[in-house]
Amino acid sequence: MWLWFAKLGSPRWFYELSDKWLPWLYVSMLILMSVGLFWALLIVPEDYQQGQTIRIMYIHVPVASISLACFPLMAVAGTITLVWKMKLADMVAQSVAPIGAWFTGLALATGAIWGDQIWGTWWAWDARLTSLLIQFFLFIGVIALRSAIDSPDAAAKACAVLAIVGAINVPIIKYSVEWWNTLHQPASNFSIDPVAPNPPEVWVPLLVMISAVYVFFAIALILRTRNEILQRERRSQWVIDLVTREKNV
Amino acid sequence: MKPHRRKKLGIIIFIAAGLGTAIGLSLFALSNNIDLFFTPTQVAAGEVTPGQRIRVGGMVKEGSVEHDQDILEVSFITTDYNHDVRVHYAGILPDLFREGQGIVAEGSMSPDGTFIASRVLAKHDENYMSVEVKAALDAAGNTTGMPPGAMR
Repeated sequence: MWLWFAKLGSPRWFYELSDKWLPWLYVSMLILMSVGLFWALLIVPEDYQQGQTIRIMYIHVPVASISLACFPLMAVAGTITLVWKMKLADMVAQSVAPIGAWFTGLALATGAIWGDQIWGTWWAWDARLTSLLIQFFLFIGVIALRSAIDSPDAAAKACAVLAIVGAINVPIIKYSVEWWNTLHQPASNFSIDPVAPNPPEVWVPLLVMISAVYVFFAIALILRTRNEILQRERRSQWVIDLVTREKNV
Repeated sequence: MKPHRRKKLGIIIFIAAGLGTAIGLSLFALSNNIDLFFTPTQVAAGEVTPGQRIRVGGMVKEGSVEHDQDILEVSFITTDYNHDVRVHYAGILPDLFREGQGIVAEGSMSPDGTFIASRVLAKHDENYMSVEVKAALDAAGNTTGMPPGAMR
Protein backbone atom coordinates (compact mmCIF):
# COMPACT_ATOMS: atom_id res chain seq x y z
CA MET A 1 0.00 0.00 0.00
CA TRP A 2 2.71 2.50 0.94
CA LEU A 3 4.82 1.43 -1.99
CA TRP A 4 1.88 2.03 -4.28
CA PHE A 5 1.34 5.41 -2.65
CA ALA A 6 4.99 6.35 -3.15
CA LYS A 7 4.90 5.15 -6.75
CA LEU A 8 1.80 7.16 -7.51
CA GLY A 9 3.64 10.20 -6.24
CA SER A 10 6.26 9.80 -8.91
CA PRO A 11 5.41 12.10 -11.82
CA ARG A 12 7.18 9.85 -14.28
CA TRP A 13 5.17 6.82 -13.24
CA PHE A 14 1.93 8.78 -13.52
CA TYR A 15 2.91 10.16 -16.91
CA GLU A 16 3.58 6.70 -18.32
CA LEU A 17 0.50 5.10 -16.76
CA SER A 18 -1.91 7.87 -17.80
CA ASP A 19 -0.65 7.42 -21.35
CA LYS A 20 -2.30 4.00 -21.28
CA TRP A 21 -5.50 5.28 -19.65
CA LEU A 22 -6.18 8.11 -22.04
CA PRO A 23 -7.36 6.15 -25.14
CA TRP A 24 -9.87 4.24 -22.99
CA LEU A 25 -11.11 7.45 -21.45
CA TYR A 26 -11.50 9.10 -24.88
CA VAL A 27 -13.55 6.18 -26.19
CA SER A 28 -15.79 5.92 -23.12
CA MET A 29 -16.38 9.67 -23.10
CA LEU A 30 -17.33 9.66 -26.76
CA ILE A 31 -19.83 6.84 -26.21
CA LEU A 32 -21.28 8.14 -22.94
CA MET A 33 -21.51 11.72 -24.19
CA SER A 34 -23.25 10.87 -27.47
CA VAL A 35 -25.67 8.41 -25.85
CA GLY A 36 -26.33 10.80 -22.95
CA LEU A 37 -26.87 13.91 -25.07
CA PHE A 38 -29.08 12.11 -27.58
CA TRP A 39 -31.14 10.60 -24.77
CA ALA A 40 -31.42 13.75 -22.70
CA LEU A 41 -32.09 16.19 -25.52
CA LEU A 42 -34.36 14.08 -27.74
CA ILE A 43 -35.84 11.09 -25.92
CA VAL A 44 -36.58 12.23 -22.37
CA PRO A 45 -40.28 13.18 -22.16
CA GLU A 46 -41.34 16.74 -21.45
CA ASP A 47 -41.72 17.59 -17.78
CA TYR A 48 -45.28 18.05 -16.56
CA GLN A 49 -44.37 21.45 -15.08
CA GLN A 50 -41.36 22.69 -16.96
CA GLY A 51 -41.85 21.26 -20.46
CA GLN A 52 -38.73 21.26 -22.62
CA THR A 53 -36.83 23.40 -20.14
CA ILE A 54 -36.18 20.28 -18.08
CA ARG A 55 -33.40 19.33 -20.53
CA ILE A 56 -31.16 22.00 -19.03
CA MET A 57 -31.01 19.77 -15.96
CA TYR A 58 -29.01 17.18 -17.90
CA ILE A 59 -26.19 19.69 -18.34
CA HIS A 60 -26.61 21.69 -15.15
CA VAL A 61 -26.58 18.81 -12.65
CA PRO A 62 -23.43 17.01 -13.96
CA VAL A 63 -21.54 20.30 -14.25
CA ALA A 64 -22.56 21.41 -10.76
CA SER A 65 -21.73 18.01 -9.30
CA ILE A 66 -18.18 18.18 -10.67
CA SER A 67 -17.72 21.75 -9.53
CA LEU A 68 -18.49 20.50 -6.01
CA ALA A 69 -16.07 17.57 -6.36
CA CYS A 70 -13.16 19.75 -7.51
CA PHE A 71 -12.69 21.65 -4.27
CA PRO A 72 -12.41 18.61 -1.96
CA LEU A 73 -10.03 17.07 -4.51
CA MET A 74 -7.89 20.20 -4.37
CA ALA A 75 -8.02 20.17 -0.55
CA VAL A 76 -6.95 16.52 -0.37
CA ALA A 77 -4.11 17.18 -2.82
CA GLY A 78 -3.16 20.21 -0.71
CA THR A 79 -3.08 18.13 2.47
CA ILE A 80 -0.83 15.56 0.78
CA THR A 81 1.43 18.40 -0.41
CA LEU A 82 1.71 19.87 3.07
CA VAL A 83 2.21 16.60 4.95
CA TRP A 84 4.05 14.28 2.54
CA LYS A 85 5.47 16.88 0.12
CA MET A 86 4.48 14.69 -2.81
CA LYS A 87 5.34 16.45 -6.07
CA LEU A 88 2.46 15.01 -8.04
CA ALA A 89 -0.14 16.17 -5.49
CA ASP A 90 0.71 19.80 -6.04
CA MET A 91 0.67 19.34 -9.81
CA VAL A 92 -2.85 17.91 -9.54
CA ALA A 93 -3.87 20.74 -7.20
CA GLN A 94 -2.60 23.30 -9.68
CA SER A 95 -4.28 21.56 -12.62
CA VAL A 96 -7.68 21.16 -10.98
CA ALA A 97 -8.11 24.83 -10.01
CA PRO A 98 -8.86 26.27 -13.48
CA ILE A 99 -11.03 23.26 -14.33
CA GLY A 100 -12.98 23.77 -11.11
CA ALA A 101 -13.37 27.46 -11.86
CA TRP A 102 -14.75 26.65 -15.32
CA PHE A 103 -17.17 24.05 -14.03
CA THR A 104 -18.38 26.36 -11.27
CA GLY A 105 -18.85 29.14 -13.79
CA LEU A 106 -20.75 26.78 -16.09
CA ALA A 107 -22.95 25.61 -13.21
CA LEU A 108 -23.78 29.25 -12.41
CA ALA A 109 -24.43 30.04 -16.08
CA THR A 110 -26.63 27.03 -16.82
CA GLY A 111 -28.45 27.63 -13.55
CA ALA A 112 -29.06 31.26 -14.52
CA ILE A 113 -30.50 30.19 -17.89
CA TRP A 114 -32.75 27.66 -16.19
CA GLY A 115 -33.79 30.13 -13.48
CA ASP A 116 -34.58 32.83 -16.00
CA GLN A 117 -37.01 30.45 -17.72
CA ILE A 118 -38.64 28.86 -14.69
CA TRP A 119 -38.23 31.06 -11.63
CA GLY A 120 -38.61 34.31 -13.52
CA THR A 121 -35.18 35.59 -12.53
CA TRP A 122 -31.67 34.61 -13.51
CA TRP A 123 -30.21 35.46 -10.12
CA ALA A 124 -31.37 35.57 -6.51
CA TRP A 125 -29.24 36.00 -3.41
CA ASP A 126 -30.35 32.69 -2.00
CA ALA A 127 -28.01 30.46 -0.02
CA ARG A 128 -27.31 27.93 -2.78
CA LEU A 129 -26.55 30.48 -5.47
CA THR A 130 -24.51 32.73 -3.21
CA SER A 131 -22.40 29.91 -1.75
CA LEU A 132 -21.65 28.60 -5.23
CA LEU A 133 -20.63 32.11 -6.31
CA ILE A 134 -18.26 32.20 -3.31
CA GLN A 135 -16.74 28.93 -4.52
CA PHE A 136 -16.19 30.50 -7.93
CA PHE A 137 -14.30 33.38 -6.33
CA LEU A 138 -12.32 30.93 -4.17
CA PHE A 139 -11.13 29.12 -7.30
CA ILE A 140 -10.13 32.45 -8.87
CA GLY A 141 -8.38 33.28 -5.58
CA VAL A 142 -6.39 30.02 -5.61
CA ILE A 143 -5.31 30.62 -9.21
CA ALA A 144 -4.35 34.23 -8.47
CA LEU A 145 -2.49 33.26 -5.29
CA ARG A 146 -0.33 30.79 -7.15
CA SER A 147 0.66 33.23 -9.83
CA ALA A 148 1.29 35.96 -7.24
CA ILE A 149 4.00 33.99 -5.40
CA ASP A 150 7.30 33.54 -7.21
CA SER A 151 8.70 30.60 -5.27
CA PRO A 152 6.94 27.39 -6.43
CA ASP A 153 7.29 25.77 -2.99
CA ALA A 154 5.81 28.73 -1.14
CA ALA A 155 3.04 29.00 -3.74
CA ALA A 156 2.22 25.31 -3.31
CA LYS A 157 1.94 25.68 0.46
CA ALA A 158 -0.17 28.84 0.32
CA CYS A 159 -2.56 27.31 -2.23
CA ALA A 160 -2.82 24.11 -0.18
CA VAL A 161 -3.84 26.10 2.91
CA LEU A 162 -6.40 28.13 0.94
CA ALA A 163 -7.79 24.93 -0.61
CA ILE A 164 -8.21 23.26 2.79
CA VAL A 165 -9.85 26.32 4.33
CA GLY A 166 -12.07 26.89 1.28
CA ALA A 167 -13.28 23.29 1.29
CA ILE A 168 -15.43 24.20 4.30
CA ASN A 169 -17.70 25.94 1.79
CA VAL A 170 -18.53 22.66 0.03
CA PRO A 171 -20.88 21.16 2.68
CA ILE A 172 -22.46 24.60 2.98
CA ILE A 173 -23.25 24.58 -0.75
CA LYS A 174 -24.49 21.00 -0.58
CA TYR A 175 -26.83 21.47 2.39
CA SER A 176 -27.78 25.11 1.81
CA VAL A 177 -31.06 24.01 0.23
CA GLU A 178 -32.00 22.06 3.36
CA TRP A 179 -30.78 24.40 6.07
CA TRP A 180 -32.36 27.57 4.73
CA ASN A 181 -35.37 28.78 2.75
CA THR A 182 -34.04 29.10 -0.76
CA LEU A 183 -35.43 29.65 -4.23
CA HIS A 184 -33.39 26.64 -5.37
CA GLN A 185 -35.23 23.36 -4.78
CA PRO A 186 -33.71 20.61 -2.59
CA ALA A 187 -32.01 17.55 -4.07
CA SER A 188 -34.32 15.03 -5.77
CA ASN A 189 -34.97 11.50 -4.54
CA PHE A 190 -34.82 9.06 -7.41
CA SER A 191 -37.51 6.41 -7.64
CA ILE A 192 -37.27 2.92 -9.15
CA ASP A 193 -41.02 2.91 -9.69
CA PRO A 194 -41.79 3.98 -13.29
CA VAL A 195 -45.02 5.64 -12.13
CA ALA A 196 -43.74 7.96 -9.42
CA PRO A 197 -42.04 11.33 -9.16
CA ASN A 198 -38.49 11.16 -10.59
CA PRO A 199 -38.99 7.82 -12.40
CA PRO A 200 -36.10 5.98 -14.14
CA GLU A 201 -36.93 7.60 -17.50
CA VAL A 202 -35.87 10.87 -15.88
CA TRP A 203 -32.78 9.84 -13.92
CA VAL A 204 -31.15 7.07 -15.99
CA PRO A 205 -30.17 9.51 -18.77
CA LEU A 206 -29.05 11.92 -16.05
CA LEU A 207 -26.76 9.21 -14.68
CA VAL A 208 -25.33 8.67 -18.18
CA MET A 209 -24.69 12.41 -18.55
CA ILE A 210 -23.07 12.60 -15.10
CA SER A 211 -20.70 9.74 -15.99
CA ALA A 212 -19.93 11.33 -19.36
CA VAL A 213 -19.04 14.66 -17.79
CA TYR A 214 -17.00 12.95 -15.07
CA VAL A 215 -14.96 11.14 -17.72
CA PHE A 216 -14.50 14.45 -19.53
CA PHE A 217 -13.32 15.97 -16.26
CA ALA A 218 -10.85 13.10 -15.73
CA ILE A 219 -9.46 13.61 -19.24
CA ALA A 220 -9.09 17.36 -18.75
CA LEU A 221 -7.40 16.86 -15.38
CA ILE A 222 -5.01 14.19 -16.67
CA LEU A 223 -4.02 16.26 -19.71
CA ARG A 224 -3.37 19.36 -17.62
CA THR A 225 -1.42 17.36 -15.05
CA ARG A 226 0.70 15.77 -17.80
CA ASN A 227 1.52 19.22 -19.14
CA GLU A 228 2.45 20.33 -15.67
CA ILE A 229 4.69 17.27 -15.22
CA LEU A 230 6.58 18.00 -18.44
CA GLN A 231 6.87 21.66 -17.50
CA ARG A 232 8.21 21.08 -14.00
CA GLU A 233 10.36 18.04 -14.77
CA ARG A 234 11.78 19.48 -17.97
CA ARG A 235 15.35 19.21 -16.65
CA SER A 236 15.08 15.56 -15.63
CA GLN A 237 16.63 12.96 -17.88
CA TRP A 238 13.46 10.99 -18.63
CA VAL A 239 11.64 14.05 -20.01
CA ILE A 240 14.66 14.98 -22.12
CA ASP A 241 14.78 11.40 -23.43
CA LEU A 242 11.07 11.45 -24.14
CA VAL A 243 11.22 14.69 -26.09
CA THR A 244 14.29 13.76 -28.13
CA ARG A 245 12.81 10.37 -28.91
CA GLU A 246 9.64 11.93 -30.22
CA LYS A 247 11.70 14.34 -32.30
CA ASN A 248 13.66 11.52 -33.91
CA VAL A 249 10.64 9.47 -34.81
CA MET B 1 3.96 7.69 9.55
CA LYS B 2 6.93 9.79 10.61
CA PRO B 3 6.40 11.93 13.74
CA HIS B 4 6.87 15.30 12.02
CA ARG B 5 4.35 14.32 9.37
CA ARG B 6 1.90 13.13 12.00
CA LYS B 7 2.31 16.50 13.74
CA LYS B 8 1.69 18.43 10.52
CA LEU B 9 -1.37 16.37 9.70
CA GLY B 10 -2.61 16.99 13.27
CA ILE B 11 -2.21 20.74 12.87
CA ILE B 12 -4.09 20.70 9.55
CA ILE B 13 -6.95 18.68 11.01
CA PHE B 14 -7.06 20.95 14.07
CA ILE B 15 -7.22 24.13 11.96
CA ALA B 16 -9.85 22.69 9.61
CA ALA B 17 -11.99 21.51 12.53
CA GLY B 18 -11.64 24.83 14.37
CA LEU B 19 -12.52 26.86 11.30
CA GLY B 20 -15.41 24.56 10.50
CA THR B 21 -16.85 25.01 13.98
CA ALA B 22 -16.41 28.79 13.87
CA ILE B 23 -18.09 29.08 10.47
CA GLY B 24 -20.81 26.65 11.51
CA LEU B 25 -21.62 28.69 14.60
CA SER B 26 -21.70 31.99 12.72
CA LEU B 27 -23.96 30.53 10.03
CA PHE B 28 -26.23 29.18 12.76
CA ALA B 29 -26.39 32.63 14.34
CA LEU B 30 -27.12 34.21 10.96
CA SER B 31 -29.63 31.59 9.84
CA ASN B 32 -32.59 33.97 9.81
CA ASN B 33 -30.71 36.45 7.68
CA ILE B 34 -29.62 33.78 5.23
CA ASP B 35 -33.19 32.65 4.57
CA LEU B 36 -34.29 34.02 1.24
CA PHE B 37 -37.86 34.58 2.38
CA PHE B 38 -40.23 34.68 5.35
CA THR B 39 -42.94 32.06 5.61
CA PRO B 40 -46.56 33.15 6.22
CA THR B 41 -46.22 31.73 9.76
CA GLN B 42 -43.31 34.06 10.45
CA VAL B 43 -45.34 36.96 9.06
CA ALA B 44 -48.28 36.02 11.29
CA ALA B 45 -45.94 35.87 14.28
CA GLY B 46 -45.12 39.52 13.65
CA GLU B 47 -41.51 38.99 12.62
CA VAL B 48 -41.74 41.62 9.89
CA THR B 49 -42.47 45.32 10.23
CA PRO B 50 -44.75 47.02 7.68
CA GLY B 51 -42.81 48.90 5.02
CA GLN B 52 -39.69 46.78 5.46
CA ARG B 53 -38.55 45.35 2.14
CA ILE B 54 -38.76 41.54 2.42
CA ARG B 55 -39.62 38.39 0.53
CA VAL B 56 -42.49 36.10 1.44
CA GLY B 57 -42.64 32.52 0.18
CA GLY B 58 -45.39 29.94 0.17
CA MET B 59 -47.81 28.01 -1.99
CA VAL B 60 -50.50 29.78 -3.99
CA LYS B 61 -53.72 28.79 -2.25
CA GLU B 62 -56.22 26.92 -4.43
CA GLY B 63 -59.05 29.15 -5.61
CA SER B 64 -57.52 32.33 -4.25
CA VAL B 65 -56.23 33.90 -7.46
CA GLU B 66 -58.20 36.94 -8.63
CA HIS B 67 -57.14 38.57 -11.86
CA ASP B 68 -58.25 42.11 -12.62
CA GLN B 69 -60.19 42.18 -15.90
CA ASP B 70 -58.70 45.43 -17.26
CA ILE B 71 -55.22 45.80 -15.87
CA LEU B 72 -52.41 43.42 -14.97
CA GLU B 73 -53.25 43.49 -11.30
CA VAL B 74 -53.56 40.18 -9.54
CA SER B 75 -54.33 39.19 -5.99
CA PHE B 76 -53.79 35.80 -4.39
CA ILE B 77 -53.21 34.12 -1.05
CA THR B 78 -49.89 32.51 -0.30
CA THR B 79 -49.91 29.87 2.39
CA ASP B 80 -47.73 27.39 4.25
CA TYR B 81 -50.90 25.54 5.31
CA ASN B 82 -50.70 27.10 8.77
CA HIS B 83 -51.12 30.78 7.99
CA ASP B 84 -52.08 32.82 4.95
CA VAL B 85 -50.82 36.08 3.51
CA ARG B 86 -52.74 37.97 0.83
CA VAL B 87 -50.49 39.28 -1.92
CA HIS B 88 -51.25 42.11 -4.35
CA TYR B 89 -49.14 42.32 -7.44
CA ALA B 90 -49.20 44.37 -10.63
CA GLY B 91 -47.00 42.88 -13.30
CA ILE B 92 -46.22 39.84 -15.37
CA LEU B 93 -46.31 36.53 -13.53
CA PRO B 94 -43.82 33.75 -14.34
CA ASP B 95 -45.15 30.99 -16.63
CA LEU B 96 -45.06 28.48 -13.81
CA PHE B 97 -47.38 30.58 -11.63
CA ARG B 98 -50.57 28.66 -10.88
CA GLU B 99 -52.67 27.56 -7.94
CA GLY B 100 -50.84 25.09 -5.73
CA GLN B 101 -47.46 26.29 -7.00
CA GLY B 102 -44.69 27.52 -4.73
CA ILE B 103 -43.81 31.20 -5.15
CA VAL B 104 -41.54 33.81 -3.65
CA ALA B 105 -42.87 37.39 -3.66
CA GLU B 106 -40.65 40.41 -3.14
CA GLY B 107 -42.09 43.59 -1.65
CA SER B 108 -43.35 44.90 1.66
CA MET B 109 -46.24 44.46 4.09
CA SER B 110 -48.79 47.23 4.04
CA PRO B 111 -50.27 48.32 7.41
CA ASP B 112 -53.56 46.49 6.64
CA GLY B 113 -51.76 43.15 6.58
CA THR B 114 -51.63 42.51 2.84
CA PHE B 115 -48.38 42.10 1.01
CA ILE B 116 -47.62 44.49 -1.86
CA ALA B 117 -45.31 42.64 -4.22
CA SER B 118 -43.04 44.27 -6.75
CA ARG B 119 -41.86 40.94 -8.14
CA VAL B 120 -43.14 37.37 -8.04
CA LEU B 121 -40.84 34.39 -8.67
CA ALA B 122 -41.97 30.81 -9.20
CA LYS B 123 -40.42 28.09 -7.09
CA HIS B 124 -40.54 24.55 -8.38
CA ASP B 125 -40.07 21.40 -6.33
CA GLU B 126 -37.53 18.60 -6.78
CA ASN B 127 -39.98 16.21 -8.46
CA TYR B 128 -39.61 15.73 -12.20
CA MET B 129 -41.83 13.49 -14.31
CA SER B 130 -43.56 13.36 -17.66
CA VAL B 131 -47.10 14.54 -18.29
CA GLU B 132 -48.18 10.89 -18.59
CA VAL B 133 -46.72 9.85 -15.24
CA LYS B 134 -48.28 12.88 -13.57
CA ALA B 135 -51.67 12.03 -15.07
CA ALA B 136 -51.36 8.40 -13.97
CA LEU B 137 -50.47 9.47 -10.45
CA ASP B 138 -53.37 11.90 -10.30
CA ALA B 139 -55.78 9.27 -11.65
CA ALA B 140 -54.66 6.82 -8.98
CA GLY B 141 -55.10 9.55 -6.42
CA ASN B 142 -51.64 8.61 -5.29
CA THR B 143 -49.49 11.63 -4.77
CA THR B 144 -47.16 10.14 -2.21
CA GLY B 145 -43.81 11.75 -2.39
CA MET B 146 -45.61 14.83 -3.65
CA PRO B 147 -47.07 16.32 -0.47
CA PRO B 148 -49.07 19.50 -1.04
CA GLY B 149 -46.54 21.25 1.15
CA ALA B 150 -43.62 20.16 -1.00
CA MET B 151 -42.45 23.68 -0.36
CA ARG B 152 -40.44 23.83 2.80
